[in-house]
Amino acid sequence: MWVWFFKLGSPKWFYELSGKWLPWLIGAMVIFMTVGVVWGLVFLPPDYQQGFTSRILIVHVAVAGTSLAFFPLMFVAGTITLVWRMKLADMVAKHAAILGAWFSFITLATGSLWGSVMWGTWWEWTDSRLVSMLFQLFLLLGVISLRSALEDSDAAAKACALLSIVGCINVVIIKYSVEWWNTLHQVSSPVTTDASSPNGPEFWIATLIMIVAVYLFLSVSLILSTRNEILERERKAQWVQDLVLKS
Amino acid sequence: MKPHRRKKLGIILFIAAGLSVAVGFTAFALKQNINMFYTPTQVAEGEVGPGQHFRIGGMVKTGTVLGATDSLKVNFVATDFVSDVPIQYEGILPDLFREGQGIVAEGEMDAAGVFQASRVLAKHDENFMSPEVKAALDAAGASTENHMPAGTN
Repeated sequence: MWVWFFKLGSPKWFYELSGKWLPWLIGAMVIFMTVGVVWGLVFLPPDYQQGFTSRILIVHVAVAGTSLAFFPLMFVAGTITLVWRMKLADMVAKHAAILGAWFSFITLATGSLWGSVMWGTWWEWTDSRLVSMLFQLFLLLGVISLRSALEDSDAAAKACALLSIVGCINVVIIKYSVEWWNTLHQVSSPVTTDASSPNGPEFWIATLIMIVAVYLFLSVSLILSTRNEILERERKAQWVQDLVLKS
Repeated sequence: MKPHRRKKLGIILFIAAGLSVAVGFTAFALKQNINMFYTPTQVAEGEVGPGQHFRIGGMVKTGTVLGATDSLKVNFVATDFVSDVPIQYEGILPDLFREGQGIVAEGEMDAAGVFQASRVLAKHDENFMSPEVKAALDAAGASTENHMPAGTN
């Protein structure tokens, strides 16, 4: 098990392995994204009170759920950076922060759009779900700026790792905010396989496909940007120069 | 695992655990401050001081919505099925506003015990239904009214 773990820390090994995974991941992403978007935005039945506005939530729920994966990912990467000093973990963490900020922004934007129609307001400072999500965006922007503020890349990696580990607690707050406190934001919808009751398969299957599609999109984007980062940071290594000469 | 790595990992896990406990206690202590609204029962029990600007959350009681014909004034009663609070509002209501719907109103209590709202927001619950399912449930006589918002009981 440890051999596998330390192999993963080698940028060259990751570069080669991820190159083999990418075509499959991209293929699966295209299929799920196409089915999810067409089904969710064109064929999904309207909600009896929201009408077609409920279709916004197909995108919102998938992106919001996925955006909660970034801090746990950065927690693991940060721990590996601090304990085992693997360079690869820091490269993944760097791009996870950037992608995570975009995911958080899209979550807030789609949520506002829906809220402006359904609630009658696009933003409420007193709603703990909304504010904790905004806090996640700020935390991620904080991690990104911390990295660019520190010139020494080793110190930057450590500082970002620590902030990611501390910031991870916010994910728990986002997740349970709607249950712990009174909020305008609704709680998570309980799903049921009974087609004749609320939240039946006609709604959640499309959402599930979209969630898988967005997770695949996250994986593909993260792998692609990590591969770029590897080439950039390892540009003096022999295997990178061989790779460049070959292509 | 090498001893110095084990030690570092221990420190990180300790920080994470300590932080979780600290945040947990803070959140618990701030419980009322973080709540977006008071329930009609909390208002009836006098948790809100006189003249205080606050938000109230509840369901629009069936059969209580009275709209004026010559203005945008509307009167209704918000309930959590234990206590009721009469609300007066003048302005445009969100599309989702209807009897049996969850709402959040912002404003203050007047001397007569009527909540004078300056803003009314609609609260959507976690249930999604196509018109067909809704019609089928109505035909079967099942209640499809919105339920109380979470955390209010």
